Amino acid sequence: MARPNGSAPQTDYAIEFRDVSRRFVLHHERRASFQDWFIGLIRPRGIAEEFWALREITFGIRRGETFGLVGRNGAGKSTLLKLVTRILEPSSGKVIVNGRTYAMLELGAGFHPELSGRDNIFLNGSLYGFSRKEMTRKFDQIVAFAELERFIDTPVKHYSSGMYARLSFGIAVHMDPQILVIDEVLAVGDATFQAKCFRALEDLKASGTTILFVSHDADSVRSFCDRAALIGGGHLLDIGPANEVIDHYERLMHAGEPSVTLLRLRAVTAPGLPTEMIHSGDDIHIETLVRTPDGATTAGLSLQLDIRDDSDTQLFSTTVDLPDHLPVAVQSSQRPDDAPDSRVASAIIHAVPIASGILHLIATLLTSADRQVIDRQETLLRIDPSDPTQHGLLSLDHTWNWQSPSEAETVPTTNNHSPSLFRR
Amino acid sequence: MVAQAAELIRYRSLVTNLVAKDLKVRYKASVLGFFWSLLNPLLMMLVFTFVFTQLLGDAVPDFPVFVLIGLLSWNWTAASVGAGHKALVDNAPLINKVYFPRMLLPISVVASNMANYLLALPVVLLFMGIYRLEFTPWLLYLPVVILVQATFLTGLVLILSALHIYFRDTTVLVDVGLTAWFFMTPIFYRVEDVVDPTLVERMYWLNPMASIVAELHTILYYGGVPDPLFMARTFVTALAFLVIGYAFFNRVSRHLGEHL
Repeated sequence: MARPNGSAPQTDYAIEFRDVSRRFVLHHERRASFQDWFIGLIRPRGIAEEFWALREITFGIRRGETFGLVGRNGAGKSTLLKLVTRILEPSSGKVIVNGRTYAMLELGAGFHPELSGRDNIFLNGSLYGFSRKEMTRKFDQIVAFAELERFIDTPVKHYSSGMYARLSFGIAVHMDPQILVIDEVLAVGDATFQAKCFRALEDLKASGTTILFVSHDADSVRSFCDRAALIGGGHLLDIGPANEVIDHYERLMHAGEPSVTLLRLRAVTAPGLPTEMIHSGDDIHIETLVRTPDGATTAGLSLQLDIRDDSDTQLFSTTVDLPDHLPVAVQSSQRPDDAPDSRVASAIIHAVPIASGILHLIATLLTSADRQVIDRQETLLRIDPSDPTQHGLLSLDHTWNWQSPSEAETVPTTNNHSPSLFRR
Repeated sequence: MVAQAAELIRYRSLVTNLVAKDLKVRYKASVLGFFWSLLNPLLMMLVFTFVFTQLLGDAVPDFPVFVLIGLLSWNWTAASVGAGHKALVDNAPLINKVYFPRMLLPISVVASNMANYLLALPVVLLFMGIYRLEFTPWLLYLPVVILVQATFLTGLVLILSALHIYFRDTTVLVDVGLTAWFFMTPIFYRVEDVVDPTLVERMYWLNPMASIVAELHTILYYGGVPDPLFMARTFVTALAFLVIGYAFFNRVSRHLGEHL
């Protein structure tokens, strides 16, 4: 008899992401002291701004696989690695890691400059949970790999960057990790050292170590990795054989650095002042600041506006093609540190029919042709009830009728709002 | 809970290495470095001795020994609290790059200051010899008192370091608090000399350090017999600190990454 439904044979994953999202809350007024906290008791602070570094990521890295992770700066690569290495915990979803992990997120992370290379090897090993006995066994191999026999009792503050890199990498490859995570650290060192590192990684690969490898260098991912994933704007854009994913990544990069980006999204009052709260039934004025360096055109780009509620239910979504040139943002909507080349796309949502709650407003800038995400911005807006007798999610137009059916025809009709939701 | 305890045990070599690192960096691997670390308590001893025997008139016989016993124990507390409550923020770059049980950072501060204390204790014995105080077998009770203090300090530092993540001005309160606490602890005065005996009762209740220092005076300075119930009560308080500190730290440290 087969096992009950829903337990299909599981792939043997070393690392598995199940619907993982990670949110960062950007407090505009951070309460980092007792002083702020007491002030906060008297004067409530505004709503914090949210930023989703990763959204609904689901994928798995098979045991023994060499997996590349690529994406632009700020795509969410570092956040993803920190989730794998347990430095961060997901806001929602599940990250499952099966096996002893050694992560090299930075060369010499955890080295103490005053200590000798020898002491740092033991300290570093214990940071990853290795006992002194295990480290003693590996010590000679590490020193030999790092070619530091003569300098092993010198404090590492006197090391050159190459020696530093060799020691750090030597520790990583000799820890016999079941899973090795490497972030962008092979860029340093000379060609000989890099070749040596790749040989060591090939050995680990051959011995069945799962390797998660992050690099900006498309060629090394192409030659070294079995599979790869491309992330952008916190989303998993592509996953598959390394060659194909890198092709995709290069197409994206060759599309040029994103000249047009989203600077900020916010709700404003009718006169243009930023707000974090409106009343049910009010119009929502949304201002999206778009950065167009040197007057770059916004032709061929689309702006998508999504509204989600606090439980992430999509309430509304619309996409519009942007005109060639947006109007220049007025001074009041700029901050002093904003670049002078920001343009503004404004929208009004008329008579919002939400009774109360927190709305997530999300603006996404995409290419009109193939819907590639270029940039996203998100903000929160609180809706306060305008009529205390009403409860529930929606505020619906309604009338009560106390008249007998014969008189019902004279009941006044309520005004209906025309749902033209996105105007320029 | 069990998995977490197992993890702490797996990472035990981290504590020894962090303590070794701390001592090496502090003493710069030189014998002279260690003697420099004794300079502070010995100088304080001289100052207190001058003030209380020359300026104010003789209060406690063999005053240097009396005050040194309390000072060394107090220095362990002051140094652990002073550095321990900042341990997480001070190590923010490391915390953002490597996963390990974060609790071990404040714990290792307490441990390395304990090592420092143990290394300085022979000086007390030396002064006891110079002043011809009696060495009694109750000296062997010393490890018990040290264990109580270690338990208490670990709990306290866990609480403070977790607070410090959210309230950076904890440092200000710690600085002020340590000064007040020093005077509320019978380091340079005898508990018997306190004018109002009901206050002594309260002092023991509210301040585990008062009990610890008083007990050290009993077994070292007076060479007397300790009351086992006295330390047992203090140990219960210390354990309560440890349990609360452990639970509180675990609660707070889950969101550590985004606050550093």
